[in-house]
Amino acid sequence: MTDQIMTDEPPETVEYQLRTADESSVATDGGTTVSSDTVDGETDAVDATLDALESDGLSGYNYAYLDEHTKREVRRSMLKAVAIPGHQVPYASRPMPLARGWGTGGIQASLSILGPDDRFKVIDQGADESVNAANIRRLAENTAEIETTTDTTDADLIQTRHRIPEEVLTDDQILVLQVPITDALRKVDPSDAANRRRHAHKNYGKMWVHLYENVVEWGEINISSRYPTMVGGRYLMDPSPIPRWDVPKLDDADNLFVFAAGREARIYAVPPHTDVEPLAFSDREFTVERFGGQSCHACGSTDTYLVEVSEEAGDTDRETNNTDREFETRYACNDSSFCAKRRENPELPKDHHLDRGGVDWGPKTASETTGSRKTAAGKTKSPGGEAE
Amino acid sequence: MGYVAVTAGEEIIERAEQLFEKQRIDGQETDISVDQLDGQLGRLTAQAMSEGGLYAPRLAALAVKQAQGDTVEAAFLLRAYRSTLERFDETVPVEPSEMLASRRVSPAFKDVPGGQILGPTKDYTQRLLDFDLIEGDSKDPTADWETTEGSDPDNADDPEKLTNVMELLREEGLIDEPDEPDELAVDEPIEPTDTTREPVTHPPDRDAVLQELARGETGAVTALGYSALRGYGQVHPTLAEVRVGRLPVTIEHPYTGDEVTVTHTEVSESEAIVPVYAKRDDPQFAFGYGLTFGRNERKAIGMTILDASIQLDGVTEPAENPEFVLDVVDGMDSFGFIEHLKLPHYVTFQSTLDRIRSIRERKGVGQTGQVDTEIRDDGSDDDSGNDGSASGSSDPDCGHDDPDSAVDEPTPDEEPVVAEVSDDD
Repeated sequence: MTDQIMTDEPPETVEYQLRTADESSVATDGGTTVSSDTVDGETDAVDATLDALESDGLSGYNYAYLDEHTKREVRRSMLKAVAIPGHQVPYASRPMPLARGWGTGGIQASLSILGPDDRFKVIDQGADESVNAANIRRLAENTAEIETTTDTTDADLIQTRHRIPEEVLTDDQILVLQVPITDALRKVDPSDAANRRRHAHKNYGKMWVHLYENVVEWGEINISSRYPTMVGGRYLMDPSPIPRWDVPKLDDADNLFVFAAGREARIYAVPPHTDVEPLAFSDREFTVERFGGQSCHACGSTDTYLVEVSEEAGDTDRETNNTDREFETRYACNDSSFCAKRRENPELPKDHHLDRGGVDWGPKTASETTGSRKTAAGKTKSPGGEAE
Repeated sequence: MGYVAVTAGEEIIERAEQLFEKQRIDGQETDISVDQLDGQLGRLTAQAMSEGGLYAPRLAALAVKQAQGDTVEAAFLLRAYRSTLERFDETVPVEPSEMLASRRVSPAFKDVPGGQILGPTKDYTQRLLDFDLIEGDSKDPTADWETTEGSDPDNADDPEKLTNVMELLREEGLIDEPDEPDELAVDEPIEPTDTTREPVTHPPDRDAVLQELARGETGAVTALGYSALRGYGQVHPTLAEVRVGRLPVTIEHPYTGDEVTVTHTEVSESEAIVPVYAKRDDPQFAFGYGLTFGRNERKAIGMTILDASIQLDGVTEPAENPEFVLDVVDGMDSFGFIEHLKLPHYVTFQSTLDRIRSIRERKGVGQTGQVDTEIRDDGSDDDSGNDGSASGSSDPDCGHDDPDSAVDEPTPDEEPVVAEVSDDD
């Protein structure tokens, strides 16, 4: 992807324009308009460039919003992160036109590696249609002239908040995860300086004690998402708030995972085929979420991450505005794009697009196993639980 | 998909923006102009510039207008815009004594060289609502003043340089010198740290601390500074002086190499003496410094206290711990992360529900709701591995715990459950 980046770089003389109605009134102060008294030829070139940008992108902003130096810095940080799996690499996170905590790290990573030939998918908590996903997709579309898709298997780059898609990712795909809190050790010590020392010494005793205390107090580990995970047997990593369901997918995957935090200005990565192992005890094993045998009410899946929704029971009649309505809990697939495919073909395996079958990727598709759910659930833990 | 509560697309986003924009102009006969904002609500624009780290009064006025007066949002607009701008040059460092002060008070000494200049301030007025302003007419109350020439700082012939009060004490050797940056050991000019271009790592250099404090959210700087005064810290400073005025922005001319003043920025500055003796063998006062764009004396003084507190190298008090202060003082960070809680959290919350149900089940307090019952029924099938270990040990565990505690265990004094629920983001 990197070699595609340079193609649409506008000349350096292009200055940025403020994209507001009051442009004329503020231009003098900000000094932001393209100066009109430059040499004619130069002006033409600038105008041509701006016109070219006008058609597709955000007027006057650089390709993919960030300037090339910034993108290069982000890519360098990513390369370093790939070289040291699980290690948090500081980078100078830029203020983005999205609020910090809303995916600014993810979008910086995405925009730094997107090229014009790439297809981009954005999901927020499993859904392409979520407002924040739409907003991020819109920024990439406006500035990077990329195609977007909601089909996981069709995307070159996927930016996600808190989920790894149900469909198996391949070695030519990159998953960028938005990260709110970069350090698994933050649970046990708020100090970044102290935690960096712990990482340097591979000193994770405090986390083990925390887990042990969990077991003593509650009988089991009560960490829900953001499950502390050991990468390559060296660095303890916060896998971002993906559910435990998704953690085993990080292990020995074909694709690259990039974790990017904007507010905390850190990038880390899990390269393909890296050992990733959630912390657990031999008598308190790592477990994924249970859905009590529920299936998706829309597609019938039992092997996907479900979320429960309270819906009005029976006929919903908005006009009557009946307050005595009963509510019932229903379960639905969280990965909305895969759910749509499953509704057309309920038997569709998660690795339907791959040549080989039976790929390890979270809990298995029921049809891949002997049909007994017992087997399916039993294998749930094998990919992540005890790494080879 | 009907079940995604916040389902949308671009159209809904645009409509939400339009509704927000409608709020701004609702019932307004006249659109408030950027000039009016810049002129009449200077404190707002100053706060946006200071927290945005970009001195551009008209852009700040535009940002305030667009943000409907939300200063953090306005500062955010400025920062996002600033980050796309080329950085052409660095200015020549400026001496505070070059300031054209419109206000200068020294609480430390009754008389200071250059004198006390009360200047425009509300400090001593009585806080009474002025109902005359409802039908405001723009009469200049100073119109009748008999002024001599030089009242306008722009046209002043030769503005008097104000001797820095701290300098008087420094000459006497009473004030500790700031720690030299490490790079000074190397014999080359030091590049100033720029926290917008390189991430802050700990322990931070003092210039990084000062930059982050100068861009800090006014309320956060005030609150943290107050915490030290309130007793969570040792710093109770005496202000050497507080000044508001204009500082020249000077650059080296690209061709001639001469220093040229290109513009001025209005700033508030504060310096303080802290009666904490810095060294045992050569007792000297500690000190603090604060500077912020625009008129914002409160923030400048708060920053002074925090600079002094951080230099004490303590870690027990919040205001003395640079990591704590820098982590929480930035308005963009706190604003973004606090408001992100409004985003969907279905996935993580489902995971959280799974934990509490499982633990309640283990404690034997699983409620009889439909969900739990079903988990009980099917769980053994679904999670054979999990249940194997769980059922094997659940009884001994329950016995081990205090049986009474099982009843109200879900909300213990200690944080575990609450902490896990809240930090999963």
